[in-house]
Amino acid sequence: MQTEAVGEDKPERRLHPWSWLFVLVQQLKQFLVPLVALLVFGGSGGPGGFWAGIGPLIAVGVLVVISVLQYFTYRYRIGRDGLSIRDGWLHRSLREIPYSRIHNVVLHQTVLHRLFGVAEVRLESAGGQKPEAQMRVLRLDEALALESLIKHRGQAPDADAPAVQADSLLSLPTAEVIRLGLVSNRGMIVMAAAFGAAWQMFPDQLLAHYFERFARQLFGYASHLHYGWITTAAAAAALLLLAALLLRLLSVLLALVQYHGFRLSEEQRRLTVERGLLSKLRTSVARRRIQAWTLHEGFLHRLLKRRSLRIDTAVAEQQGKNDQRALKELAPIATPDACDALIQHLLPQAHWPRSEWTPLPTAAWWRLFLPTLVFIVVLVLALVSYAHTAWALLPLLWLPWGVYAAIQQARRAGYAVDERLVAIRGGWWSRHWRFAEIDKLQALRLVRSPMDRRMGTASLWMDTAGASGLAPPLRIRFLPEAEARSLYSRLSHALARRRMRW
Amino acid sequence: MSDLPSTPAPSPAEFVAPMAPLVADWQHLPARGAKLAAFSGALGSAIPFAVASAFLSRLADFSTPWLVAPVVGLLGAAFGAWLGVKRHRRTLWKLDEQGFALQRGRWWQTESRVPISRVQHLDLKRGPLERAFKLATLVIHTAGTKMAAVSVSGLDGEDAERLRDRLARQLDHDDDAL
Repeated sequence: MQTEAVGEDKPERRLHPWSWLFVLVQQLKQFLVPLVALLVFGGSGGPGGFWAGIGPLIAVGVLVVISVLQYFTYRYRIGRDGLSIRDGWLHRSLREIPYSRIHNVVLHQTVLHRLFGVAEVRLESAGGQKPEAQMRVLRLDEALALESLIKHRGQAPDADAPAVQADSLLSLPTAEVIRLGLVSNRGMIVMAAAFGAAWQMFPDQLLAHYFERFARQLFGYASHLHYGWITTAAAAAALLLLAALLLRLLSVLLALVQYHGFRLSEEQRRLTVERGLLSKLRTSVARRRIQAWTLHEGFLHRLLKRRSLRIDTAVAEQQGKNDQRALKELAPIATPDACDALIQHLLPQAHWPRSEWTPLPTAAWWRLFLPTLVFIVVLVLALVSYAHTAWALLPLLWLPWGVYAAIQQARRAGYAVDERLVAIRGGWWSRHWRFAEIDKLQALRLVRSPMDRRMGTASLWMDTAGASGLAPPLRIRFLPEAEARSLYSRLSHALARRRMRW
Repeated sequence: MSDLPSTPAPSPAEFVAPMAPLVADWQHLPARGAKLAAFSGALGSAIPFAVASAFLSRLADFSTPWLVAPVVGLLGAAFGAWLGVKRHRRTLWKLDEQGFALQRGRWWQTESRVPISRVQHLDLKRGPLERAFKLATLVIHTAGTKMAAVSVSGLDGEDAERLRDRLARQLDHDDDAL
């Protein structure tokens, strides 16, 4: 074991002595639901009462042994060009991670971590499903040293040299974080997730029964009052309003917990974000690893005169799991000027904000309106054939609004392409700008639907790495075909000439 | 890294096989693949058609599912085969200086382009049926999201190998490729 270390000057290291505790906690989290279910629902009285009672204890014991074993078998060494990690007892593995392949470094501290003065370190490379390495856990100063080592690609910063001061690019005071909570739908998402989980975890009838009883009580109470329908409607509206207010409040609380002390800083072309009230998160990504940028301004953002700036990185994202840890938000919320200044600073060649946008052909509004029209007509036909009342025509009232929205959207949509950057903008009620460097484009696609062929138009899709499904796609729709083709071949030329740079 | 010679000596294989030529014109897939395309199209649509029709006939109380499902399934197979042949005929590819391009469809037309510099890795697949027809499927992987893999099935086996060698060439020279 020691002979391998002869050539290297750096010794092998172990994780923090308490690391077994955190591994155990992590494993317990995974088994928490079955364990609790076993304790609560499978308690005494059932068949095999003794084993059912002692089963969880045995399981926890096994987990403790596994965690301790993991501590004793996990070693890492900080080499000149990369990190090597050895772990496993029966099934051993040695993993070499070159510093140049690490796209993202994440330091994570929950309250428990903070009590022990340790942190969890996660190293991520592009693609794949899992992080390259997950070091659970290191002492905080060791973790920070490792992070800065990776930042400097393995050259430990000289102790004598004056420390390079990280420039703070953006920090959010509490008032901003509260604004962030107000515009976000975090509360709604959390409530929906909680309902879903409750529905799955508890026996079906229990929850349904509870809701039914609650609703019946409510209606029973309302019918006692013998109010007219206007009062009932007002009461319902008040209830809805109350629910909305509560959800916003929850959103604000969540935002405070997650984004308290948000600070974006830059050090040697590497961006670092620190945030969190109870559990602290510190995640960093090199500036050149940014694949695409999204600037977003929803309706509530506009009321508060704010925008948000997000980036795509090629870092592995667990599918279906909205992982909050990767550096995705450069500015969760900031004034439009601050967002523009940030883009100017980080991507000077973008010449942001753009003033010359190529607009969509003005006649394109009805193409935007078409899906709404089809949907409403189908809905009305279905309702009429089902209900046979004039009320079924109510959805038609949406159409004028749809037309107006489509016209506004078409007026605002546009694109800008130059030697270094492609940018699109769109939306009206909720607006977005999305752009990427041409070097970061991966593939192009020209699509002509039957409708496009009739109208002599085409749409151009540009694909980048790490684009999430939620972000608006980088595509230009309803372009006149000749224009689309010339743009397509121009971009193909540019892509073929330029090498991809991660 | 640094102790390697900066220009590695060309391997013997590179001397034997000169750079595969570019194919700058649109190329059709070989016609012998049409049968295979028809077969897979028929197989792909027969079962959904049969299941859906059985379900609908139960719902609408029309005839018996035991009669409807096989008939509609056969019709669906014929439709799928027709569609497969059409799609096969309308799939064209080319490889020019700007990279690999693929054209698909007549009703819903798409034209995709993967620049050679953006190719991450390549798969060449040959199923037993494709082997019998001397065909191959080439899958070009990029780092993108929506177009992470561009797959062309029914390529001539030798064409596919040439394409793979030509597209893989830059991977050898690109020392910073991930």
